[in-house]
Amino acid sequence: MQPEHEQLARISAGDAAAFAAWASSAEAPLRRSLRPFAALCDTEAVLQEALLRVWQVAPRFVHDGRPNALLRFAVTAARNVAFSELRKVTPTATEVEALHRALDAQGEVTLSAPDPLLRAAIARCRDKLPAQPARALAGRLEGVGEDRALASSVGMSLNTFLQNVTRARRFLADCLARAGVDLDLELSP
Amino acid sequence: MSPDEALLVERVVSAHRERGADGAVRSHPAWHDLGAEGRRAAYEETARQRAAERALDPNAQSSTVKAVLARLSR
Repeated sequence: MQPEHEQLARISAGDAAAFAAWASSAEAPLRRSLRPFAALCDTEAVLQEALLRVWQVAPRFVHDGRPNALLRFAVTAARNVAFSELRKVTPTATEVEALHRALDAQGEVTLSAPDPLLRAAIARCRDKLPAQPARALAGRLEGVGEDRALASSVGMSLNTFLQNVTRARRFLADCLARAGVDLDLELSP
Repeated sequence: MSPDEALLVERVVSAHRERGADGAVRSHPAWHDLGAEGRRAAYEETARQRAAERALDPNAQSSTVKAVLARLSR
């Protein structure tokens, strides 16, 4: 991982590759920071919007001298987007109270470093996938388009495609478990 | 979870999101059709899916990151 200041300078200058590297490391901790909002707003949409705001603000961003400054800013941006979304669903007082308790309990955020062993284990399990789930998963991996188009690109109906993506993920989780890897544990802070 | 709910969850796991007239990333339509339990399940499944995507992509980019990169402008 690049030194933070150098990476920030490149992102500020409009280097999309530097932003991509940072976003790949920031995605998991950012998503975890949004877990308390999971039942109240679409955290995937919130996360993408927050990352886009980071890119927009980066040229004017001033580092505060503490580690992970851009990530901490991204967490704040994501929470702001999420709270803005909450205004549309009018959560109950109990839900809001529970949300604030959960947010207050969150610890420091840090970027997630790539784990080559986990990467290799997942790749080994992917290679063992049955044909249909393998094709569906490949469709999801290769495209960010709408699911109907992805399904069509791999020659499946939408529902068959969705069922096969689910099957692929379950197969990966089971395969990883047999290899002694608990994906949920790997994803926890 | 019913089969129909499972399909809704899987649709929400997708990184594809439309943009609104104001340019903001919009919630997935299927997310609104889920109850609280289904929404939490969609969150957890998305986290697992993105971890697998990062691991399997040559540039360690998940579909979330790819979707964001496709929309960069300044």
